Formats: sequence, C-alpha cells, structure tokens
Amino acid sequence: MLKFLFFILFLIPMVFLYNSFWLVQNFLFFMFFLMMLFLNYSGYFVNLSLLFGIDLLSFGLILLSVWISLLMIMSSELLKKNKNFVSLFIFFILMLLLLLMLTFSCFNFFLFYLFFESSLIPTLFLILGWGYQPERIQAGFYLLFYTLLASFPLLMVIFFIMFKYNSIMFFFFMDFFNLNFLFYLMLIFAFLVKMPMFLVHLWLPKAHVEAPVAGSMILAGILLKLGGYGLLRIFPLVLNLGVKLNFFFISISLIGGGLISLLCLRQVDMKLLIAYSSVAHMGIVLGGLLTLTSWGLMGAYTLMLAHGLCSSGLFSIANMSYERLGSRSLFINKGLLNMMPSMSMWWFFFCSGNMAAPPTLNLLGEISLLNSIISWSIFSIMFLTFLSFFSAAYSLYLYSFSQQGKMFSAIFSFSAGFVREYLVLFLHIFPLNLLILKSELIFLWL
Amino acid sequence: MIRLFKSINFLYFMLLFMLSLLFFFCCLLFLFKDLIYFIEWEFLSFNSCAIIMTFLFDWMSLLFLSFVMFISSLVIFYSINYMKSDLFINRFIILVLLFVFSMAMLIISPNLISILLGWDGLGLVSYCLVIYFQNIKSFNAGMLTALTNRVGDVFLLISIAWMMNYGSWSFIFYIEIMKNDYSMKIIAVLILMAAMTKSAQIPFSSWLPAAMAAPTPVSALVHSSTLVTAGVYLLIRFNILMLNSLLGSILLFIGGLTMLMAGICANFEFDLKKIIALSTLSQLGLMMSILSLGFSKLVFFHLLTHALFKALLFLCAGTMIHSLNNSQDIRDMGSLINTLPFSVSCFNISNLALCGFPFLAGFYSKDLILELSLYSNFNLISFIFFFFSTGLTVSYSFRLTYYSFFMSLNFKSLNNMMDENWIMSKSLFFLSLMAMIGGSVLNWMLFDSNMLIYLPFFLKVFTLIICFMGGMMGYFLSFSSFFSINKSFSFYSFFIFQNSMWFFPFMSTISVIYWPLVVGQGLMKNFDQGWSEFFGGQNLNKFLKNFSIINQFFFLNNLKIYLMFFVFWVIFLVFFLFIYSISL
Repeated sequence: MLKFLFFILFLIPMVFLYNSFWLVQNFLFFMFFLMMLFLNYSGYFVNLSLLFGIDLLSFGLILLSVWISLLMIMSSELLKKNKNFVSLFIFFILMLLLLLMLTFSCFNFFLFYLFFESSLIPTLFLILGWGYQPERIQAGFYLLFYTLLASFPLLMVIFFIMFKYNSIMFFFFMDFFNLNFLFYLMLIFAFLVKMPMFLVHLWLPKAHVEAPVAGSMILAGILLKLGGYGLLRIFPLVLNLGVKLNFFFISISLIGGGLISLLCLRQVDMKLLIAYSSVAHMGIVLGGLLTLTSWGLMGAYTLMLAHGLCSSGLFSIANMSYERLGSRSLFINKGLLNMMPSMSMWWFFFCSGNMAAPPTLNLLGEISLLNSIISWSIFSIMFLTFLSFFSAAYSLYLYSFSQQGKMFSAIFSFSAGFVREYLVLFLHIFPLNLLILKSELIFLWL
Repeated sequence: MIRLFKSINFLYFMLLFMLSLLFFFCCLLFLFKDLIYFIEWEFLSFNSCAIIMTFLFDWMSLLFLSFVMFISSLVIFYSINYMKSDLFINRFIILVLLFVFSMAMLIISPNLISILLGWDGLGLVSYCLVIYFQNIKSFNAGMLTALTNRVGDVFLLISIAWMMNYGSWSFIFYIEIMKNDYSMKIIAVLILMAAMTKSAQIPFSSWLPAAMAAPTPVSALVHSSTLVTAGVYLLIRFNILMLNSLLGSILLFIGGLTMLMAGICANFEFDLKKIIALSTLSQLGLMMSILSLGFSKLVFFHLLTHALFKALLFLCAGTMIHSLNNSQDIRDMGSLINTLPFSVSCFNISNLALCGFPFLAGFYSKDLILELSLYSNFNLISFIFFFFSTGLTVSYSFRLTYYSFFMSLNFKSLNNMMDENWIMSKSLFFLSLMAMIGGSVLNWMLFDSNMLIYLPFFLKVFTLIICFMGGMMGYFLSFSSFFSINKSFSFYSFFIFQNSMWFFPFMSTISVIYWPLVVGQGLMKNFDQGWSEFFGGQNLNKFLKNFSIINQFFFLNNLKIYLMFFVFWVIFLVFFLFIYSISL
C-alpha cells in the first residue's frame, strides 16, 4: 500500500505545475489501473506493512475513492476554465484521497479514527472554498459539528478498548467482554451520524446543497460510506449487544427511510432530492447491516459501492444542468430532453439505477438487504415496500420533471453535452452495470 | 427503394423477422422432440444460495418469443411510415428493441431474480415509450404506467426475499413439491399481485387505457400483445400455486370482474384506442380467470392468438388515425369503408377474430375456453361474468364498426384519407393473414388430440346466441339516441361512471398520492426544518450562544467581578470537599 500512498504524496507537488489539471487526473487513472492489479480475493488482510493493510472490504472502497476522485476532477472542469484556484482545489482532492486511502487501509482503530476525522477537513475546505452561496458557512459548521459531536465519544471508547484489551487492531476484535449500552451507543453513534441515520441526517442535505460538484460527489460517493465501513469493522466488538439492541436503530432507519422517501417527493431542488434519496438508501443499508446477518453485511457493502457510483453520477449530471441553466430548481430545469437528448438518456440510466433497476449493482445490494431485513422481521416488509416503491417514485419524478415538460423560457444560450461530460457519466454507469457480472468481488467480502 | 433498405427500421425488421422464423422452427423441433433446454449462469454462490441467470428454452418460451419477434418486426416495419416525420426515429427504434429484449428476457428466465431483468426492464422501457410524445397527457400516463408497474416490481422483490426460504430462486424445480408450504402460499399471493399489476387486473387496471398515449405502433406491440401478457405468462409458470385454493377463486373473481368492467366501459368509450385497450383488458381478464381454473395451455393458446389479432387491430387503428389527421375520436369517423377499404377490411377481420367468428384466430381459443367453462364446475356469478362479457365484446366491436365504417362521414370535408400506403398495408396484410390462419395452425400444432367437450345442443349454441345478441346490442347502441346530446344528460352520473372506468383512474392517481404528498410536506416542515433542527443543530447553537453571552457579560465587566466569582467558586469547591470528606 505504501507505494500508492507515496504515489499520491508525490502527486501533490505536481499540483503546482502549470496546467496540471488533467495531468493529475491521468495519473490517478494510471494509479487506479495499477491498483486493480493488487486485487487479492482471499478474505484476509493482504499488502501488510506497518499498521496498514487491505482486505476486500477496504479494497473496494479504496478503488471507489480513487475512481470518484478522478471523476471529481473531470466533472469540475469549469473551475479550470474560470481559473478558480485550480491547484489548491486539486491539492485538497489529493489530500482527501490520501486520507481516505489511509482510513480504509489502516487497521488500527485509533489511526482509523484519526484519518476518519481528518478527512473532514479537506471536505470542509472544498465546501467553504468552492461552494456557491454564503450559506455554505453554516453547512460547513453542520458538517463538522454533527460529525465531531458524535465522534468524540468514540475516541473515549477507543481509549477504553485499549485500556481493557491492550490492542485496538481490527482483526483482533471479538465480542469477549461484557459491555454496557453506553459503550455500544458511544461506539456506533459516530458512524450512525456519518452514515447518516434518520434524525441525525440534517448535515447531509445542507452540505450537499452548498458543496461544489466535487464536494457533493465525494460526500455521496465516499464519505457516507465511511460510516458504513466503520460499522462493518467494529461490529465484531458488540455482536451480542448488537443483537439485543440493534432493533432500535433498524427501526429508526427503516421508518426514517420511508419518511425520507416521502420527503423526496416534495423537493424542488435537484441536489436536495438526490441528497435525501441517499439518506433513504443509507437507511436500507443501515437496516440490513444492523441485522448482522451475512446477507445484510454483504448487501450493505454492495449497496454502498453501488450507491457511491450512482449518486455521485447523479450529482455530476445535476451539476451539468446547473452549469447550463444556473439553477438547481426543477421548475427551471425542465424539458431538457429536447435540448440534450443524449444527456437525457444518461439521466434515465442514473435515475433507474437509483431505483435499483436491473442490472445495476443497486439491485443486487437491495435484494440481499431485503433478504436480510425480511428474515429479521416480517413486519419490516411494510417499510421496505414503501421504500422500494417510493424510491422509484422520486427517481421518476426527478427524471420526468427535469427532462419532460416545457423548456424554461428564459434560457439565453445552451450547449449540448461535451464528450468530457459523457465520459464522466459513462465511467460512473459502466462499473455500476457491469460489475454485477463478477459480483463475487463486490459481494463476498466477509 | 435503396433508401428503404438503408433505413434502421428495415434493418431491424429483417433481423427480428429472421429471429422470429428461427424461434418458430426451433419451437417446432422442440415440440416434436419434446426437448427442454436449461442454460444456467451462476453469478454468485453464497451459503448454498446461488443467484443464477437461468434461461429456459421449451416450446412455450420459443413460441412466445417467435410471436413477439414477429409482431415487433411488423411493428417496426409499420413505423417506417407511421413515424416517418419523427426526428428521433433512432431513439424510437432503440426503445422498441430494448422492449423486445426485456420481453425476451422475461419469457426465457424462470428464475425469480433473473426475471427481474425483463420485468423491471419492461416497466422502465414502456415508461419511456408512453412518454414518447412529450405532452401533458403522455407525461401523466407514463407516470401512472411506471408506478403501477413498480408496485408489481416491489411485490416481486418481496417474494424474492420470501423465496430465500428454499435456498434457490429457480422456482420451476421445486414449485410442485412445495406448493402446500406456508411460505409458498405467501409467495403465491405476492406473485399474483405482481402479475395483476402487469396485466392490469382490477385494482390496477387504470394504467392500461392511460398508456394509450404512446405511439400507436407501440400500443400494438406493448400494450396489447406483449407487456400486458407478461403477468399472464408469469402466472402460467406459477399456475400450480393457483389451483384449488382460495387464491384461485380470488383470481377467478378478479379476472371476471375486470373482464366485465372493461366490456361495459368499452361500450361507453369514444376514443378509438381506448376502446381497443379496454378490449385488451377484457381479454386479459378472460385469460386470468381461465388460468385460475387450471387451463394453462389453453390460456397460452389464447394469449398467442389474442396477440396476433390485437396487434392487427391496433395497427389498423393506427392507419385510421394517421389518415384522419391524428384524430382518435370515433365520432369523427364514419363511412371509412369508402375511403380506407383495405385497412377497414383488415380491421374487420381482427374484430371478428376478437369476437370469435368461426375459423378466424380467436374462434379456436375463445370458443374452446367458453365451452370448457360451460363444461367445468363453477358458480352463477362466474358464469355471468364469462358470458355477459363475451356478449359485450361483440357489442363494442359492432358498435365500433358501425360508428367508424358505416355511418355518414363526420370528419372535415377537407381530408386526405387513403390507404395506398404500401408499407403500412403490407404489415397489415401479414398480420391479417396470421389473424385468419393463426388459430387453426396453433390449434393443430399445440393440441395433439381434440378435447372432449360433451354439451347439450342449447349450451353448444349458447355462445353463438350470446354473440349474436351482443352484436344486435352493439348495432342498436350505435344508433340509439342514448349517446346523443339530448339524452346523454339524463343518465349523466351513470354515463360518467362508465366512461371513467368505474372511477379506477381516480383511485389509482389522486387518492393514492394525496396522503404521501401531504405527509411529505408535513415532514419537511415539521421534521427536517422543525423538530430535528430543534433537537439538533439550531438549538445546540442557541444553547452555546446563550452560554457565551453570559460569559461575555463577565468578560466585559470589571475584573473585580470576575475575580469575585473565582473566589466564590473556590469556596464552593472547598465546601463540597469538606462535605465529601465528612461523608467518607
């Protein structure tokens, strides 16, 4: 792993070269393909060095981080055109990528915590630096303080584990000592906020609305998955307690997912809609994950990867409309089918991916999560039906309101999609639809 | 000519036609040798549950494939002319091909997970096809279609979760052994609901007439012969679960009711395409109710013949609409027999086939179905459903015929009606050929021996009498002053009730979405911008701010006050330490 970390470290000086925008992006592509060769499908931690190493769970998420990072650079070309502190922007993306890779690849719990928290900083700077509106200050505060408030208890818990057990290595985690509710709550709440669970999700829509496209992409694509990743890693510690107490959080996330889907139907802001839809999806992920069944854990991972690709693509395609029309409102983004027919096709792909249409990875994830949640309790069928139906409803709402209808009459000029944009969208949808052909790699991580 | 060969339509017409022939001959071979091929492709195997893409090739799936390919090839050929001035003809053809692909996937995979590829694909692609003409009507109709179909998808997804009890989603291997199992009964309910949404049975039937906002060739392919029969096809595969159970009776009742509702409403409808859509609905109800009696092979037979003549009916309607300057109202038509003789005769052929005129395609299946239903054992209500609807079918067909062909011309005097459009006429010709011979051919092919139906003379001719009476009724309906302006208001509420399909469209649009939207708005105001903020960010902010205001009060005052508070605090602490040491 160290070679890749150094790869990114040495990319950072390159940022200050003149015209390094596409160079960095190309190098990230190069690194991505190199990393793909390091796939080890064995179920163990491999590539060990010092405190770092990866198994399939971290491998997939690291690949996703690199992929999303390079797509972030591709989709924010407008920054380069406007000369809007390009090198600083790339610097933050690389810092974020570095921290994310470290987060996913370390198996010391404290180091994980450290990188988990420090990945907030580049995100915060992305939002504060390249956001559009003055409200981004508040959004940044929400992002920072919701996460921090819940995660300082986690730090205490880490010290407690170290004190009790003398090791905080992930692969030594076992449910061996009797712990109480407080420990359980402090342990998982940081991740629940990061996920985000219903009721503590307020930071997410705010951050998404205010963030530039790159910030939204990385937020939806990777940062939400940090929570899920953390839960998947720490649940060996609280298995018994989890079986007893998880019903509470499963209920909250399933009911919340249903309610959030209803909320999506009333959004007129495209980015807000996509952000809320990711809260709803994370509700299913959380529900399946907390059942602690094999199907649930694996489906959670699969849906996290799928959602990372799909919602990141949705954010980037929403930004393409935004760049042309200067608004995220669905009352202004109308009738785009006549102006950008090819882009409309991509809209449809992403919207149908968002509602878990085959053959996307979303479907695989959703099926296995349904399996786990329904086998956990048949009463959850009601909420899952709700979630599943309304996910289609709001995805189609997004598609039909933005693509059909009358054009907004105050548009001055308009360009059809660029090849770069289609490439960004293709690179999102291609792994999303094709990885299902080799679904062991993104499903059987346990 | 050269331009025609180069067009994308012609290319895909040839491809699909060849595929149709290929599948047909494969079907003959499989039927002759009694072959069944399974092809399984394992995606994922986990804890002995395997997610498998299954392809099943038996005579049934091959024959259905061949029919789908045949109809779609002719539809694509037809749309060379029908969609000629369309700017996005490539998009149209791609969507139709995607639709055919999804249908093929649905037909050949008897696995609950891999069938999703076809099942969801049908819903999504038909959504795209319904909203193809971008107007308000098609927009709403598309949303209704897609969301009703999504209900079916959700039921299918839930039944996948239930089927994990058996460790495999290839139901065809164990459905017969497990049919009395508790979970299998739940699965049967879920599958039934899914099939009912796809086949537009009664609580979900409003989308089918609404989907007529699609281009007419699409209606011919999608909303008459393929998509809507997907539910029936699924139930044919799951037929064992429906036999001799309460579920079967419910299916019988719902199918009969759908049949009756569609039959009555078609007699009150003035939109040409909607009449045909309602007739499709009525035939679907017939198939569903017969399926519940266990005649699955017969249902399949009727499904195929129905696909033939219904596609023809829609294509003829398309020709009429095309030459009537896109007017679909049958009150605008009349005496088309003089202006569109060829299309009208094709239309008549398929109408008669629909009514079950002897030796046309519909006769063989429909007559057999009705006689079998006379022969089998069920109650009076079902009997009334079956025979009343049969009469109504003839009635609305005759009404339609009289309205559009024989009455005086009600269209504008400046018109350009003609059917010398050889491309459209050719596809009509091929389909009407099939509508004439299809029934007998399939009958000889599928049933190796004649069915023994032993009926007294009165019951034997009962169907014919019913059809005759229905025809008379249709004739009188088309002439009666009941529909004229003077009299129509005296039965206003009754008329509205029938004309709006027993209020089903209202029940599945505004009454379903009203509360979700209200609740969504309430959630937005009270949860996300209300209590969640109060117990979350905003209130915490206020709390901290108030504290720092108090602190600021000290900072801004004299140092003495600050020091005094410090001294007090120390005294306070010492005091408590004192109490604590005493208590020790």
